[in-house]
Amino acid sequence: MFEEPQAALVAAALDEQVPGAAALGAVRYVERLLTALDHDPPRLWAGVGPWAADGGPEWIPLGPWERDAWQQRIDGWRAVYGRVARGDAEPGDAAVLHAHACEAVYGDPAYGGNLGAGGWQRIEFPHPLFPPRRVDQ
Amino acid sequence: MTTTDDCDVVIVGSGPGGATAAEVLTAAGWHVVVLEKGRNHLVALDPPHEPLRHFSNDEIAQTRRHLLGPDPILEPRTYRRSEADGDRLLIGEVNNLPSTVGGGGVHADAKLPRFREEDFHLRSARGPVEGAAVEDWPVQYDELEPHYAAVERSFGVAGEDGANPFAAWRSGTFPMPPGDDMPGALASAAAAERAGLHPYRAPTGVNSVAYDGRPACADCGFCGGYGCPIHAKGEPLAALQRALRTGRCDLRPDAYVTDIVLDTSGRRATGVRYLDLTGHPDPAVREVRASRAVVLAAGAFETPRLLLQNRLGGDLVGRFLTYHFQTFVVGIFPGSTGGERGRSVTHLHDDLMIDTPELRAAAAAAGLPWLRGGVVEHGSREGPIGEALTYPAGKAHLRAMTDSALRRRLWAFTVQGEDLAQTGNRVDLDPTVRDVWGRPAGRVTYRPHRHELAASAYAIPIHEAVMLDAGAQAAFSATSPPQGDLDLHAESSPLGIAPSSRHVMGTARMGRDRATSVVSPEQRLWDVDNVLVCDASVFVTSSGYNPTLTLSALAHRAATLLAGTSE
Repeated sequence: MFEEPQAALVAAALDEQVPGAAALGAVRYVERLLTALDHDPPRLWAGVGPWAADGGPEWIPLGPWERDAWQQRIDGWRAVYGRVARGDAEPGDAAVLHAHACEAVYGDPAYGGNLGAGGWQRIEFPHPLFPPRRVDQ
Repeated sequence: MTTTDDCDVVIVGSGPGGATAAEVLTAAGWHVVVLEKGRNHLVALDPPHEPLRHFSNDEIAQTRRHLLGPDPILEPRTYRRSEADGDRLLIGEVNNLPSTVGGGGVHADAKLPRFREEDFHLRSARGPVEGAAVEDWPVQYDELEPHYAAVERSFGVAGEDGANPFAAWRSGTFPMPPGDDMPGALASAAAAERAGLHPYRAPTGVNSVAYDGRPACADCGFCGGYGCPIHAKGEPLAALQRALRTGRCDLRPDAYVTDIVLDTSGRRATGVRYLDLTGHPDPAVREVRASRAVVLAAGAFETPRLLLQNRLGGDLVGRFLTYHFQTFVVGIFPGSTGGERGRSVTHLHDDLMIDTPELRAAAAAAGLPWLRGGVVEHGSREGPIGEALTYPAGKAHLRAMTDSALRRRLWAFTVQGEDLAQTGNRVDLDPTVRDVWGRPAGRVTYRPHRHELAASAYAIPIHEAVMLDAGAQAAFSATSPPQGDLDLHAESSPLGIAPSSRHVMGTARMGRDRATSVVSPEQRLWDVDNVLVCDASVFVTSSGYNPTLTLSALAHRAATLLAGTSE
């Protein structure tokens, strides 16, 4: 959803929070978060996916009220990233960027960040057991 | 409004208390409807009621995106320390136990110690404390013991017989041997023993071996705060499954109970009304009629909130709110403490709960008759996102994460300090903040008694010394709620300014005198006696032990008395 040069500004802002975040997929993480509700089920809660013996859900559906809450959050974040992409971020936006950079670098790769589990590798965090891998969707 | 089919008992809440009541009542042949406000991520509603397998080792879904609920945008809560703070200090998350099928049992790492005999008659044993409402319970340990044993079998508790020299008597052995030790706990337990303390392997509702059709724990490391991916935790899944498999339990998620329906006398409940949250934006109002009883098991925050909205239970509803006053003694070690695998806590010690000359002297120095600390948990566990959020941005962030003082090299003692009941500490209804369905938000008013501060101050130097002896390079301590400059903590504390403890208790106190309690010894409301409370709301004192096993044993007892069966 970010096109150049906006993507570069977002990447730089995320890198400023957590160095190396962009290389680990942080922009992609943010793009997937901001478009999560465009999918059915929304891509907000990863299911166990191919790890489960019986298949299991790929993405866990939200209830209608939960969807409302997430729409409200995402609308707020879209405004933040709009400012960042225009190069006129406000001081209060840093908290959102910091949280998302941390999630992108150290969270489950199912959400688009932590490419190749590189965020975990650089802090020697052992790969989770359940699931042992995620399939990039 | 739709009136659904009748049942014998309608149960509000599907956590450990509600699940236990459902198990007992359905075993007695009764039909129950269990209404759960939250979503269902735990168990299939259709036979054979297998686990849904929604949980994985996913820090984002479970700690950042409210998978287990409640979402604070939909269900805000408010907090203040006292009336002097005005209507509130903050709006958002306050002691949010999961709002989901299974309730607080889903996210807990399931430390399930029993209380000790003294916990049930603290007033008689230790005496009163000025400014606190220390009372004896109307039920004593000996009467509760068979129910403790029953819920230990139901959930599946692993523990080491005879390991805790201060434990209450028990009629039988633990259902399972203890699980694997965390390496950090072996070091801290050895140092604690050198200091004259008495650590032991924590009784835990996590399978150490295959039990009741569920596998042994795989020590994945995502335990406290997470739903179990393989359901090695039996609390309360096992009880819910047993109830469901009788065919006499109808479990309904997304059911937000708003009204307790009374008959024309106003002295007897005939059922409840709820919002069916599968409907949106106008949820249907439905009613369930119950011929025998209504059981409230929504937890010590939501149960008083429901009672207050219905003006039931009397003037003491919501008062005597207690938590555990938590003291964290943190050790930073030169290398990894191994906390990334295993359960979150594998060892405990009870020494601060015991009446000793040293604690008496500390109490006297503080101008108090006695002090009780709490059980001390030896543990670790912070996910990498949680750790990352505590560090500043930029190059310093990367260095801090690589160094990992607050995760990989951290080990901690958590003192679950006894919190003395005070009449001013309470849950009530916020005057203006509403949830998304237009109902008043619950509000906490809480500040600790000086007993808690003195007990914490006593514990800190002892445990910092133990931590250093265990090999830590440095040790420091913090409390929740934080003490000192509130503004400073609002900016700096990852735990926030409200109590971070999820151990919420005491808001519908049980007793023998209706003038000083909300429910009877049988856990029935004094003013509507077929409404029972089966959660930690009924606690008279907080003790210093994790509350889940005791609230479940009490629910087991109350449901057994209701059904007229025996244990």
